[in-house]
Amino acid sequence: MNGGEIALERARAKLLGPSGLDEAAIGRALNELAGRGADLADLYFEASSMRSWQLEGGRVTQGGFAMRQGVGARSVHRGQVSFAHSADIREGALLETVRAVRTLERSGGVGRDRQGIAPGRRAAAHDLYPALDAVSIEDASAWIAILERIDERARAQDPRILRVDANVRATDTTVLVADADGMLAGDVRPMTILSMVVIAEQDGRRARGQAGLGRHAGLEGFDAASIDAMVASATVMALNNLVAIPAPVGEMPVVLGPGYPGVLFHEAVGHGLEGDHHRKHLSAFDGRLGERIAAPGVTVIDDGGMAGRLGSLGIDDEGTAPERTVLVEDGILTGLMQDRLNAGLMNARSTGNGRRQSYAHLPMPRMTNTFLANGRADPADIIASIDRGIYATEFDGGQVDIVTGRFNFTTIAAWLVEKGRLVAPVRGATLIGVGHEALRHVSMVGEDLAFDSGMATCGKQGQSLHVSVGQPTLRIDRLMVGGQAG
Amino acid sequence: MTMLLTHSEVGLCDAAQRAVELAARRGARARASVHHEGVAKAAMRGGEVETAERSGSQNLSLTVVHEGRRGSASTAGFDKAAIERVVEEAMLIAAYVEPDADADLPPPDALAFSGPAPQLYADSPRSPEAMLEAAGALDRIAGGIAASDSRLRAGESVAATTEGLWALATSDGFCRSALRSNDARWTVMLAQDESGSISDFCQSQERQADALSSAQSLAQEAADRACRSLGARAIDSRRCPVLFDPRTAATLVDIIAGALNGVAQYRRMSFLPDPLGRALAPAHLDLQEDPFEPLGLASGGFDGEGIAGSTRAILRSGVVEGLFLSTFSGRKLGMASTGNADGYYNLRLTSTAPSGDRAAMLRMLGTGLVVTHFQGGKTDPASGNWTQAVRGFWVEGGEIVHAVTDVTLAGTVPAMLNGIRAVGRDVERMGAIRTGSILIEDMQLGGWA
Repeated sequence: MNGGEIALERARAKLLGPSGLDEAAIGRALNELAGRGADLADLYFEASSMRSWQLEGGRVTQGGFAMRQGVGARSVHRGQVSFAHSADIREGALLETVRAVRTLERSGGVGRDRQGIAPGRRAAAHDLYPALDAVSIEDASAWIAILERIDERARAQDPRILRVDANVRATDTTVLVADADGMLAGDVRPMTILSMVVIAEQDGRRARGQAGLGRHAGLEGFDAASIDAMVASATVMALNNLVAIPAPVGEMPVVLGPGYPGVLFHEAVGHGLEGDHHRKHLSAFDGRLGERIAAPGVTVIDDGGMAGRLGSLGIDDEGTAPERTVLVEDGILTGLMQDRLNAGLMNARSTGNGRRQSYAHLPMPRMTNTFLANGRADPADIIASIDRGIYATEFDGGQVDIVTGRFNFTTIAAWLVEKGRLVAPVRGATLIGVGHEALRHVSMVGEDLAFDSGMATCGKQGQSLHVSVGQPTLRIDRLMVGGQAG
Repeated sequence: MTMLLTHSEVGLCDAAQRAVELAARRGARARASVHHEGVAKAAMRGGEVETAERSGSQNLSLTVVHEGRRGSASTAGFDKAAIERVVEEAMLIAAYVEPDADADLPPPDALAFSGPAPQLYADSPRSPEAMLEAAGALDRIAGGIAASDSRLRAGESVAATTEGLWALATSDGFCRSALRSNDARWTVMLAQDESGSISDFCQSQERQADALSSAQSLAQEAADRACRSLGARAIDSRRCPVLFDPRTAATLVDIIAGALNGVAQYRRMSFLPDPLGRALAPAHLDLQEDPFEPLGLASGGFDGEGIAGSTRAILRSGVVEGLFLSTFSGRKLGMASTGNADGYYNLRLTSTAPSGDRAAMLRMLGTGLVVTHFQGGKTDPASGNWTQAVRGFWVEGGEIVHAVTDVTLAGTVPAMLNGIRAVGRDVERMGAIRTGSILIEDMQLGGWA
């Protein structure tokens, strides 16, 4: 169990106790923050510690530890956000931070009076991830052994594997959100990311392969079979890229494999359905709720409440429980993702998508776990349906221009397909399209929904967060492919 | 006079030295780096404040080397307990990892105990009120420009300022500090016509507010960029010459510098293996590094290890003369540090080939693509394969014909380097990099057919 009183207890021990703060002091700070009649006012306390181990050249010779804490204070008057943050959370510094927010306010005194705030309302407990400590020096020897085994196994796969770099990074984050409506909610967020890069070399040509595993867990969340699969995935990627041929150019059908390629929907649909872009009328999907934007059979969901997924949250960073928001249902645009600020200004309610990189950043509507739901096609039939095109299974990130809806991805694992068969791996190709056009060209959706391995991150306005993306195998009839072949 | 900082230079040096002393008492060589930063930022849109921010951050990071083993730890707290914990954690890590002779701190005689310290700080109005005023002025001007053209809508206008303080101490008795400042303004414009919507922006960043581009020129340039991009369309796939405007050209320079970084080199993650002394670009190209430019955005008197950089050639007549090395990456390659533990200093790409202003460069391009934006893509550091989705203009006979989007460029970086025909005199500074537009004679463009 996590959240509820369990997380609050942890937050009191990690954040409040060492700083001499208690709930009464938080109430006093909130009174000061919201006293001039803010529409929304909150304090976000955060403490985190991180431990990492790095393998290179077959040995673990580097490790790191970091700890930090701080508080972000925000008040909102008629959509105008004032924000200050501080690494010092003792009561004197907290009041200084709150006063810094007050000095930034340009239009106080118009809302309701908020004196006498006493945080009392609690968030519910949750089972999405355990309230454990992932960062422990006790695990050092075990992690070092795992990293050394990754090196051995990767080299054992093929003599062309020239170099292996691997890294593990465990982070414990404890958060406490208190707002002017009297809510006090905590969450404990353990996370461990294991990642590796291999370099293969043959006849003077070099190629790279990468893979990783991310879990809301500590050492116990990493079994040998998953780690071996990760090693195999990275080495196969490097060896394929070693013999890859130049990618073709032009408009052609594209089959996207299951799992991480779901980043397509994260970029092509998700970002355009974040509430802030709609409030500011910036999104290419602005004003199109209820319209058909995709082919029948295309259903896209954002769900922050999926056990084990890295985009999941017991509470979002504004204390709201996560929801399952159907963004596109059978091709019809049905939902937006909201935080409290934008929901309040759009006469909507928060969908539990208010997220922030840290206490030093403002929350905004962000995705959690975003995926395309299963269809009915057999994945083998989807590949077999291609006369000439690309089959892509891994991308190195992606981008979207919210205003135009134009998105792009670059493949790190892809094949040329001719007459329904995989012909050869192709070098990194950039796929580009326009969200609402690409969606209309989704013609086959497989039945093999899978999610990324826990390595997906999302950047927005300089803030980076862990998310999860997923999809079954699918075919897009027309997408622009850019490669080196003429 | 600083106004955003809450710690003093002396306070930071004390914290760094305390950490180093505690580690030295436990028999380690040690280095502590302490950063403190104050930020004020205001964003306005349509005459209203969107966000106003005031923030402070701080961090102390410690590296210890004990019996040939290295450990690192950092904390945001500078109190006694936090510093003791950081020393403890760094020592614990050093007890677990394997020894690596290359991980030892630099020899004391490599450190810049004295030496030139370029000016990195200048006074400017930096209060939150000053940022609200500056963002407001930019927003008003942007609004005025948008009101004069029915295709335009003003987006966000932002003023941001930072004051930073950094102290570095080592167990060899090194202790120096640096004060720095940064001021930035940017504004976003949206343009719309029957062909669709597009947004673009213009920004200016300097170490003092007086040196920034005027609000009028920023807003006008953002508006011009957005309007020029209206009606953009794809073209057919082809091979053609490509002119990267200075903003995108700076990214190409960054890719070259990345491949010459010591870490990429010793990890064999560079498409330019064993580059020293090799001709990697045409003989008309030079790339210079200067750590000491007064108020340069990437200037510094010493790096994160306390070692000074030098004014030097990275590429001379197309031949690689220098790498960017830390003590660690240098040792891995059998070389000495170049004082680049934190990356490169100010870089300037120049060419002796025939060149000219923007109009002249368009004439030299003749018929081809001008790239104004990279929209996303990848450089594979191991193979040098390069692919990008790009935006820009199609040019025929030296004249812009129409805006272009939904096309890709692909190639290998070594081939692109070899294909550089000219560098324009339309030089701009993008952070650490100064370059004019770069003309590459032949690239693969991916479009419709």
